Amino acid sequence: MSMVEFAGVTKRFGKTVVLDRVDLQIDRGEVVVLIGPSGSGKSTLLRCINALERIDGGDLRVDGISVLGSKAKVREIRQEAGMVFQQFNLFPQMTALENVAFGPRQVRGTSKVDAEQLARELLAKVGLADRVAHYPSELSGGQQQRVAIARALAVKPKLMLFDEPTSALDPELRQEVLRVMQALAEEGMSMVVVTHEMTFARKVGTRLIFMEHGHIAVDGPPVDLLDNPPNQRLRDFLQHVG
Amino acid sequence: MELDWSVIVHAMPALLQGAKLTVFIAVVGLAGGVLVGLLFGLMRAYGNRIVSAIAFVYVEFVRGTPIVVQVMFIYFALPVLLDIRVDAMTAAVTSIIVNSGAYISEIVRGAFLSVPRGLREAGLALGMPTWRVLAFVVGPVAFRRMTPPLGNQFIVSLKDTSLFIVIGVGELTRQGQEIMAANFRAVEIWSAVALIYLALIGVLTFALRTVEKRMRIL
Repeated sequence: MSMVEFAGVTKRFGKTVVLDRVDLQIDRGEVVVLIGPSGSGKSTLLRCINALERIDGGDLRVDGISVLGSKAKVREIRQEAGMVFQQFNLFPQMTALENVAFGPRQVRGTSKVDAEQLARELLAKVGLADRVAHYPSELSGGQQQRVAIARALAVKPKLMLFDEPTSALDPELRQEVLRVMQALAEEGMSMVVVTHEMTFARKVGTRLIFMEHGHIAVDGPPVDLLDNPPNQRLRDFLQHVG
Repeated sequence: MELDWSVIVHAMPALLQGAKLTVFIAVVGLAGGVLVGLLFGLMRAYGNRIVSAIAFVYVEFVRGTPIVVQVMFIYFALPVLLDIRVDAMTAAVTSIIVNSGAYISEIVRGAFLSVPRGLREAGLALGMPTWRVLAFVVGPVAFRRMTPPLGNQFIVSLKDTSLFIVIGVGELTRQGQEIMAANFRAVEIWSAVALIYLALIGVLTFALRTVEKRMRIL
Protein backbone atom coordinates (compact mmCIF):
# COMPACT_ATOMS: atom_id res chain seq x y z
CA MET A 1 0.00 0.00 0.00
CA SER A 2 1.24 3.46 -0.86
CA MET A 3 2.09 5.88 1.88
CA VAL A 4 0.27 8.67 0.05
CA GLU A 5 -2.18 8.25 -2.79
CA PHE A 6 -3.71 11.12 -4.74
CA ALA A 7 -6.56 10.03 -7.00
CA GLY A 8 -7.84 12.82 -9.23
CA VAL A 9 -7.38 15.43 -6.51
CA THR A 10 -8.71 18.87 -7.30
CA LYS A 11 -8.28 21.93 -5.12
CA ARG A 12 -9.72 25.34 -5.81
CA PHE A 13 -9.30 28.70 -4.09
CA GLY A 14 -12.41 30.52 -5.16
CA LYS A 15 -12.39 30.25 -8.96
CA THR A 16 -8.69 29.52 -9.23
CA VAL A 17 -7.90 25.86 -9.75
CA VAL A 18 -4.74 25.19 -7.75
CA LEU A 19 -4.60 21.42 -8.16
CA ASP A 20 -6.17 19.98 -11.28
CA ARG A 21 -7.04 16.26 -11.02
CA VAL A 22 -3.68 15.27 -9.63
CA ASP A 23 -2.77 11.56 -9.51
CA LEU A 24 0.27 10.65 -7.46
CA GLN A 25 1.53 7.72 -5.44
CA ILE A 26 4.28 7.98 -2.89
CA ASP A 27 5.70 4.81 -1.40
CA ARG A 28 7.25 4.15 1.97
CA GLY A 29 10.85 5.35 2.19
CA GLU A 30 10.66 7.72 -0.75
CA VAL A 31 12.11 11.21 -0.45
CA VAL A 32 10.04 13.24 -2.87
CA VAL A 33 11.27 16.72 -3.70
CA LEU A 34 8.57 19.05 -5.03
CA ILE A 35 9.66 22.01 -7.11
CA GLY A 36 7.95 24.48 -9.35
CA PRO A 37 7.29 28.18 -9.87
CA SER A 38 5.31 30.03 -7.20
CA GLY A 39 1.61 29.45 -7.64
CA SER A 40 2.18 26.09 -9.28
CA GLY A 41 0.41 24.32 -6.40
CA LYS A 42 3.34 22.58 -4.73
CA SER A 43 2.70 23.94 -1.23
CA THR A 44 -1.01 23.33 -1.61
CA LEU A 45 -0.36 19.74 -2.68
CA LEU A 46 1.73 19.26 0.46
CA ARG A 47 -0.87 20.87 2.71
CA CYS A 48 -3.60 18.65 1.27
CA ILE A 49 -1.73 15.59 2.48
CA ASN A 50 -2.30 16.39 6.14
CA ALA A 51 -5.65 18.02 5.43
CA LEU A 52 -4.61 21.56 6.33
CA GLU A 53 -6.30 22.26 3.01
CA ARG A 54 -9.56 20.50 2.20
CA ILE A 55 -9.65 18.91 -1.20
CA ASP A 56 -12.56 19.80 -3.49
CA GLY A 57 -12.54 16.73 -5.69
CA GLY A 58 -11.09 13.24 -5.99
CA ASP A 59 -9.69 11.32 -3.04
CA LEU A 60 -6.47 11.44 -1.10
CA ARG A 61 -5.37 8.63 1.19
CA VAL A 62 -2.52 8.67 3.65
CA ASP A 63 -1.52 5.21 4.85
CA GLY A 64 -4.94 4.07 3.69
CA ILE A 65 -6.89 6.76 5.55
CA SER A 66 -8.90 9.21 3.44
CA VAL A 67 -8.62 12.93 4.15
CA LEU A 68 -12.35 13.07 3.47
CA GLY A 69 -13.09 11.02 6.59
CA SER A 70 -14.30 12.11 10.02
CA LYS A 71 -12.44 14.64 12.16
CA ALA A 72 -10.99 11.78 14.18
CA LYS A 73 -9.65 10.15 11.00
CA VAL A 74 -8.14 13.44 9.87
CA ARG A 75 -6.39 13.76 13.24
CA GLU A 76 -5.06 10.24 12.73
CA ILE A 77 -3.57 11.31 9.39
CA ARG A 78 -2.01 14.37 10.99
CA GLN A 79 -0.38 12.20 13.63
CA GLU A 80 1.11 10.04 10.89
CA ALA A 81 2.28 12.96 8.78
CA GLY A 82 4.52 15.38 10.65
CA MET A 83 4.68 18.88 9.24
CA VAL A 84 7.50 21.44 9.17
CA PHE A 85 6.56 24.96 8.14
CA GLN A 86 8.44 27.71 6.35
CA GLN A 87 7.91 30.05 9.30
CA PHE A 88 8.73 27.40 11.94
CA ASN A 89 5.55 28.21 13.90
CA LEU A 90 7.02 27.21 17.23
CA PHE A 91 4.82 27.85 20.26
CA PRO A 92 6.35 31.08 21.63
CA GLN A 93 5.17 30.58 25.21
CA MET A 94 7.01 27.28 25.53
CA THR A 95 10.69 26.38 25.77
CA ALA A 96 12.30 24.18 23.13
CA LEU A 97 11.78 21.18 25.40
CA GLU A 98 8.12 22.02 26.03
CA ASN A 99 7.54 22.58 22.32
CA VAL A 100 8.78 19.08 21.52
CA ALA A 101 7.16 17.36 24.52
CA PHE A 102 3.82 19.04 23.80
CA GLY A 103 2.69 16.86 20.87
CA PRO A 104 3.17 13.44 22.47
CA ARG A 105 1.49 14.64 25.67
CA GLN A 106 -1.47 16.06 23.76
CA VAL A 107 -2.12 13.37 21.17
CA ARG A 108 -0.28 10.23 22.26
CA GLY A 109 -1.18 10.38 25.93
CA THR A 110 2.49 10.15 26.88
CA SER A 111 3.33 10.94 30.51
CA LYS A 112 5.18 14.16 31.28
CA VAL A 113 8.37 12.34 32.26
CA ASP A 114 8.39 10.15 29.15
CA ALA A 115 7.52 13.05 26.85
CA GLU A 116 10.35 15.16 28.23
CA GLN A 117 12.76 12.26 27.95
CA LEU A 118 11.74 11.80 24.32
CA ALA A 119 12.03 15.56 23.72
CA ARG A 120 15.57 15.59 25.13
CA GLU A 121 16.57 12.72 22.84
CA LEU A 122 15.08 14.39 19.78
CA LEU A 123 16.63 17.77 20.57
CA ALA A 124 19.98 16.04 20.97
CA LYS A 125 19.41 14.36 17.63
CA VAL A 126 18.92 17.71 15.89
CA GLY A 127 22.00 19.05 17.66
CA LEU A 128 20.26 21.20 20.26
CA ALA A 129 20.91 19.32 23.50
CA ASP A 130 22.22 22.54 25.02
CA ARG A 131 19.21 24.61 24.04
CA VAL A 132 16.37 22.71 25.73
CA ALA A 133 15.51 25.53 28.14
CA HIS A 134 15.57 28.29 25.54
CA TYR A 135 12.45 30.00 24.28
CA PRO A 136 11.98 30.28 20.49
CA SER A 137 12.69 34.02 20.65
CA GLU A 138 16.12 33.18 22.06
CA LEU A 139 17.03 30.85 19.18
CA SER A 140 18.32 31.55 15.68
CA GLY A 141 16.14 30.71 12.71
CA GLY A 142 18.10 27.55 11.97
CA GLN A 143 17.80 26.42 15.58
CA GLN A 144 14.08 27.18 15.61
CA GLN A 145 13.58 25.12 12.49
CA ARG A 146 15.47 22.20 14.01
CA VAL A 147 13.28 22.42 17.11
CA ALA A 148 10.28 22.38 14.76
CA ILE A 149 11.58 19.21 13.12
CA ALA A 150 12.04 17.60 16.54
CA ARG A 151 8.52 18.69 17.48
CA ALA A 152 7.08 16.99 14.41
CA LEU A 153 9.13 13.83 15.00
CA ALA A 154 7.97 13.59 18.62
CA VAL A 155 4.53 12.42 17.54
CA LYS A 156 6.29 9.50 15.80
CA PRO A 157 5.00 10.12 12.28
CA LYS A 158 5.47 7.67 9.43
CA LEU A 159 5.86 10.49 6.96
CA MET A 160 7.37 13.97 7.17
CA LEU A 161 6.15 16.96 5.17
CA PHE A 162 8.44 19.96 4.71
CA ASP A 163 6.99 23.19 3.34
CA GLU A 164 9.97 25.28 2.16
CA PRO A 165 11.81 24.59 5.41
CA THR A 166 14.84 26.73 4.56
CA SER A 167 13.24 29.59 2.63
CA ALA A 168 12.99 31.87 5.68
CA LEU A 169 16.60 31.25 6.66
CA ASP A 170 19.83 33.06 5.89
CA PRO A 171 22.03 31.01 3.55
CA GLU A 172 24.55 30.15 6.27
CA LEU A 173 21.80 28.74 8.49
CA ARG A 174 20.26 26.54 5.80
CA GLN A 175 22.90 23.85 5.94
CA GLU A 176 22.25 22.93 9.57
CA VAL A 177 18.59 22.31 8.75
CA LEU A 178 19.34 20.44 5.52
CA ARG A 179 21.82 18.19 7.34
CA VAL A 180 19.14 17.20 9.86
CA MET A 181 16.77 16.45 7.01
CA GLN A 182 19.39 14.39 5.23
CA ALA A 183 20.06 12.34 8.37
CA LEU A 184 16.33 11.71 8.64
CA ALA A 185 16.16 10.54 5.02
CA GLU A 186 19.11 8.22 5.58
CA GLU A 187 17.21 6.61 8.46
CA GLY A 188 14.55 5.69 5.93
CA MET A 189 11.89 8.26 6.81
CA SER A 190 9.35 8.87 4.03
CA MET A 191 9.51 12.54 3.14
CA VAL A 192 7.82 15.05 0.90
CA VAL A 193 9.82 18.27 0.62
CA VAL A 194 8.86 21.50 -1.10
CA THR A 195 12.12 23.34 -1.64
CA HIS A 196 14.34 25.31 -3.96
CA GLU A 197 17.48 23.57 -2.69
CA MET A 198 18.62 21.70 -5.80
CA THR A 199 21.72 20.32 -4.13
CA PHE A 200 19.50 18.70 -1.54
CA ALA A 201 17.20 17.38 -4.26
CA ARG A 202 20.13 15.80 -6.05
CA LYS A 203 21.88 14.41 -2.98
CA VAL A 204 18.99 13.30 -0.81
CA GLY A 205 15.93 13.08 -3.04
CA THR A 206 14.88 9.76 -4.50
CA ARG A 207 12.32 11.40 -6.74
CA LEU A 208 11.82 14.85 -8.18
CA ILE A 209 8.46 16.30 -9.14
CA PHE A 210 8.16 19.51 -11.14
CA MET A 211 4.77 21.14 -10.82
CA GLU A 212 3.19 23.65 -13.12
CA HIS A 213 -0.30 25.18 -13.20
CA GLY A 214 -1.66 22.61 -10.75
CA HIS A 215 -0.33 19.67 -12.73
CA ILE A 216 2.58 17.33 -12.22
CA ALA A 217 4.63 18.25 -15.28
CA VAL A 218 7.70 16.09 -14.71
CA ASP A 219 8.27 13.20 -12.32
CA GLY A 220 11.44 11.12 -12.13
CA PRO A 221 14.85 10.48 -10.56
CA PRO A 222 16.43 13.78 -9.46
CA VAL A 223 19.89 13.27 -10.97
CA ASP A 224 18.53 12.46 -14.44
CA LEU A 225 16.06 15.31 -14.42
CA LEU A 226 18.54 17.87 -13.14
CA ASP A 227 21.27 16.84 -15.58
CA ASN A 228 19.00 16.42 -18.59
CA PRO A 229 15.78 18.35 -18.09
CA PRO A 230 13.28 16.66 -20.43
CA ASN A 231 11.16 19.76 -20.73
CA GLN A 232 11.99 23.32 -21.70
CA ARG A 233 10.12 24.92 -18.83
CA LEU A 234 11.91 22.77 -16.25
CA ARG A 235 15.17 23.81 -17.92
CA ASP A 236 14.18 27.49 -17.61
CA PHE A 237 13.07 27.00 -14.04
CA LEU A 238 16.32 25.32 -13.05
CA GLN A 239 18.25 28.18 -14.56
CA HIS A 240 16.35 30.65 -12.39
CA VAL A 241 16.85 28.80 -9.09
CA GLY A 242 20.42 28.03 -10.17
CA MET B 1 -16.21 79.66 51.99
CA GLU B 2 -14.88 77.55 54.78
CA LEU B 3 -14.13 73.90 54.45
CA ASP B 4 -14.54 71.45 57.27
CA TRP B 5 -12.53 68.37 56.42
CA SER B 6 -13.54 66.68 59.66
CA VAL B 7 -16.89 65.79 58.09
CA ILE B 8 -14.96 63.25 56.04
CA VAL B 9 -13.99 61.42 59.18
CA HIS B 10 -17.63 61.10 60.13
CA ALA B 11 -18.60 60.13 56.63
CA MET B 12 -15.81 57.59 56.20
CA PRO B 13 -17.53 54.48 57.63
CA ALA B 14 -20.50 54.95 55.30
CA LEU B 15 -18.27 55.72 52.32
CA LEU B 16 -16.17 52.63 52.92
CA GLN B 17 -19.34 50.60 53.24
CA GLY B 18 -20.24 51.94 49.79
CA ALA B 19 -16.75 51.23 48.47
CA LYS B 20 -17.10 47.62 49.60
CA LEU B 21 -20.30 47.29 47.63
CA THR B 22 -18.66 48.93 44.61
CA VAL B 23 -15.82 46.43 44.72
CA PHE B 24 -18.21 43.54 45.18
CA ILE B 25 -20.34 44.52 42.18
CA ALA B 26 -17.25 45.09 40.04
CA VAL B 27 -15.54 41.84 41.00
CA VAL B 28 -18.57 39.57 40.60
CA GLY B 29 -19.73 41.46 37.51
CA LEU B 30 -16.35 41.31 35.82
CA ALA B 31 -15.83 37.65 36.69
CA GLY B 32 -19.10 36.96 34.91
CA GLY B 33 -18.19 39.42 32.17
CA VAL B 34 -14.95 37.61 31.45
CA LEU B 35 -16.78 34.28 31.11
CA VAL B 36 -19.47 35.80 28.89
CA GLY B 37 -16.82 37.67 26.89
CA LEU B 38 -14.78 34.53 26.38
CA LEU B 39 -17.82 32.60 25.20
CA PHE B 40 -19.15 35.25 22.82
CA GLY B 41 -15.69 36.29 21.65
CA LEU B 42 -14.86 32.73 20.63
CA MET B 43 -18.31 32.34 19.08
CA ARG B 44 -17.60 35.34 16.88
CA ALA B 45 -14.06 34.37 16.05
CA TYR B 46 -14.56 30.70 15.29
CA GLY B 47 -18.29 29.95 15.19
CA ASN B 48 -20.28 29.14 12.09
CA ARG B 49 -22.47 31.82 10.58
CA ILE B 50 -25.41 31.39 12.97
CA VAL B 51 -23.33 31.20 16.14
CA SER B 52 -21.26 34.16 15.05
CA ALA B 53 -24.41 36.17 14.19
CA ILE B 54 -25.86 35.58 17.66
CA ALA B 55 -22.70 36.94 19.24
CA PHE B 56 -22.64 39.86 16.82
CA VAL B 57 -26.20 40.88 17.70
CA TYR B 58 -25.46 40.72 21.42
CA VAL B 59 -22.34 42.86 21.10
CA GLU B 60 -24.06 45.42 18.90
CA PHE B 61 -27.06 45.71 21.23
CA VAL B 62 -24.88 46.34 24.24
CA ARG B 63 -22.43 48.65 22.53
CA GLY B 64 -25.24 50.55 20.86
CA THR B 65 -27.06 51.47 24.08
CA PRO B 66 -25.92 53.39 27.17
CA ILE B 67 -25.27 51.36 30.29
CA VAL B 68 -27.77 53.50 32.24
CA VAL B 69 -30.49 52.43 29.83
CA GLN B 70 -29.34 48.83 30.17
CA VAL B 71 -29.57 48.85 33.95
CA MET B 72 -32.94 50.61 33.85
CA PHE B 73 -34.15 47.96 31.44
CA ILE B 74 -32.93 45.11 33.60
CA TYR B 75 -34.29 46.63 36.81
CA PHE B 76 -37.59 48.12 35.66
CA ALA B 77 -38.52 46.62 32.29
CA LEU B 78 -37.41 43.01 32.59
CA PRO B 79 -39.57 42.32 35.68
CA VAL B 80 -42.61 43.52 33.75
CA LEU B 81 -41.77 41.48 30.67
CA LEU B 82 -40.88 38.25 32.43
CA ASP B 83 -43.01 38.67 35.53
CA ILE B 84 -40.07 38.18 37.89
CA ARG B 85 -38.63 40.17 40.76
CA VAL B 86 -35.18 41.64 40.34
CA ASP B 87 -33.54 43.28 43.33
CA ALA B 88 -31.27 46.23 42.82
CA MET B 89 -28.03 44.36 43.57
CA THR B 90 -28.86 41.59 41.11
CA ALA B 91 -29.69 44.18 38.48
CA ALA B 92 -26.40 45.96 39.14
CA VAL B 93 -24.27 42.82 38.92
CA THR B 94 -26.17 41.61 35.85
CA SER B 95 -25.66 44.94 34.13
CA ILE B 96 -21.90 44.76 34.61
CA ILE B 97 -21.85 41.17 33.35
CA VAL B 98 -23.89 41.97 30.27
CA ASN B 99 -22.15 45.25 29.53
CA SER B 100 -18.54 44.28 30.15
CA GLY B 101 -19.18 40.88 28.55
CA ALA B 102 -19.87 42.56 25.22
CA TYR B 103 -16.74 44.69 25.30
CA ILE B 104 -14.62 41.81 26.59
CA SER B 105 -15.88 39.56 23.81
CA GLU B 106 -14.44 42.03 21.31
CA ILE B 107 -11.16 42.02 23.22
CA VAL B 108 -11.12 38.21 23.20
CA ARG B 109 -11.97 38.02 19.52
CA GLY B 110 -9.31 40.54 18.59
CA ALA B 111 -6.65 38.84 20.68
CA PHE B 112 -7.35 35.34 19.36
CA LEU B 113 -7.47 36.51 15.75
CA SER B 114 -4.24 38.48 16.17
CA VAL B 115 -2.31 35.29 16.94
CA PRO B 116 -0.49 34.21 13.76
CA ARG B 117 -2.46 31.58 11.85
CA GLY B 118 0.65 29.42 11.66
CA LEU B 119 0.44 28.61 15.38
CA ARG B 120 -3.04 27.22 14.95
CA GLU B 121 -1.89 25.20 11.94
CA ALA B 122 1.11 23.89 13.87
CA GLY B 123 -1.20 22.67 16.63
CA LEU B 124 -3.64 21.12 14.17
CA ALA B 125 -0.77 19.50 12.27
CA LEU B 126 0.19 17.63 15.44
CA GLY B 127 -3.23 16.00 15.28
CA MET B 128 -4.89 17.94 18.08
CA PRO B 129 -8.61 18.70 18.08
CA THR B 130 -9.42 22.35 17.36
CA TRP B 131 -10.65 23.12 20.89
CA ARG B 132 -7.39 21.87 22.37
CA VAL B 133 -5.40 23.98 19.93
CA LEU B 134 -7.41 27.03 20.98
CA ALA B 135 -7.07 26.23 24.67
CA PHE B 136 -3.40 25.26 24.83
CA VAL B 137 -1.70 26.83 21.82
CA VAL B 138 -3.54 29.95 20.71
CA GLY B 139 -5.18 30.77 24.07
CA PRO B 140 -2.02 31.32 26.10
CA VAL B 141 -0.60 33.66 23.45
CA ALA B 142 -3.93 35.46 23.06
CA PHE B 143 -4.29 35.83 26.82
CA ARG B 144 -1.05 37.77 27.03
CA ARG B 145 -2.21 40.11 24.30
CA MET B 146 -5.54 40.57 26.07
CA THR B 147 -4.12 41.85 29.33
CA PRO B 148 -3.74 45.56 28.49
CA PRO B 149 -7.19 46.09 26.93
CA LEU B 150 -8.75 43.84 29.58
CA GLY B 151 -7.25 46.03 32.30
CA ASN B 152 -8.75 49.04 30.61
CA GLN B 153 -12.17 47.41 30.60
CA PHE B 154 -11.86 46.48 34.30
CA ILE B 155 -11.24 50.13 35.14
CA VAL B 156 -14.15 51.33 33.02
CA SER B 157 -16.50 48.77 34.57
CA LEU B 158 -15.42 49.61 38.10
CA LYS B 159 -16.32 53.23 37.47
CA ASP B 160 -19.54 52.27 35.70
CA THR B 161 -20.81 50.92 39.02
CA SER B 162 -21.30 54.56 40.04
CA LEU B 163 -24.23 54.67 37.62
CA PHE B 164 -26.18 52.26 39.80
CA ILE B 165 -27.04 55.32 41.88
CA VAL B 166 -30.06 55.46 39.56
CA ILE B 167 -31.50 52.23 40.93
CA GLY B 168 -30.64 52.99 44.53
CA VAL B 169 -27.80 50.55 45.10
CA GLY B 170 -25.83 51.82 48.08
CA GLU B 171 -22.46 51.82 46.34
CA LEU B 172 -19.81 54.46 46.83
CA THR B 173 -21.30 57.26 44.73
CA ARG B 174 -24.75 56.71 46.21
CA GLN B 175 -23.35 56.87 49.75
CA GLY B 176 -21.58 60.10 48.91
CA GLN B 177 -24.75 61.55 47.47
CA GLU B 178 -26.77 60.67 50.57
CA ILE B 179 -24.24 62.13 53.00
CA MET B 180 -23.96 65.24 50.89
CA ALA B 181 -27.72 65.66 50.86
CA ALA B 182 -27.72 65.65 54.67
CA ASN B 183 -24.78 67.97 55.36
CA PHE B 184 -24.33 69.93 52.12
CA ARG B 185 -20.56 69.48 52.27
CA ALA B 186 -20.15 68.99 48.54
CA VAL B 187 -16.44 69.77 48.26
CA GLU B 188 -15.35 67.60 51.15
CA ILE B 189 -17.56 64.61 50.39
CA TRP B 190 -17.03 64.49 46.61
CA SER B 191 -13.29 64.92 47.14
CA ALA B 192 -13.33 61.95 49.47
CA VAL B 193 -15.42 59.90 47.07
CA ALA B 194 -13.08 60.73 44.19
CA LEU B 195 -10.02 59.80 46.22
CA ILE B 196 -11.50 56.44 47.18
CA TYR B 197 -12.18 55.65 43.49
CA LEU B 198 -8.66 56.77 42.68
CA ALA B 199 -7.26 54.45 45.35
CA LEU B 200 -9.33 51.49 44.14
CA ILE B 201 -8.22 51.98 40.57
CA GLY B 202 -4.66 52.55 41.71
CA VAL B 203 -4.68 49.11 43.33
CA LEU B 204 -6.17 47.59 40.17
CA THR B 205 -3.59 49.27 37.94
CA PHE B 206 -0.78 48.07 40.17
CA ALA B 207 -2.12 44.49 40.08
CA LEU B 208 -2.40 44.61 36.28
CA ARG B 209 1.10 45.94 35.91
CA THR B 210 2.41 43.17 38.10
CA VAL B 211 0.67 40.56 35.97
CA GLU B 212 2.02 42.12 32.78
CA LYS B 213 5.54 42.27 34.13
CA ARG B 214 5.49 38.65 35.14
CA MET B 215 4.69 37.42 31.65
CA ARG B 216 6.15 38.48 28.38
CA ILE B 217 3.76 39.63 25.69
CA LEU B 218 4.27 37.26 22.80
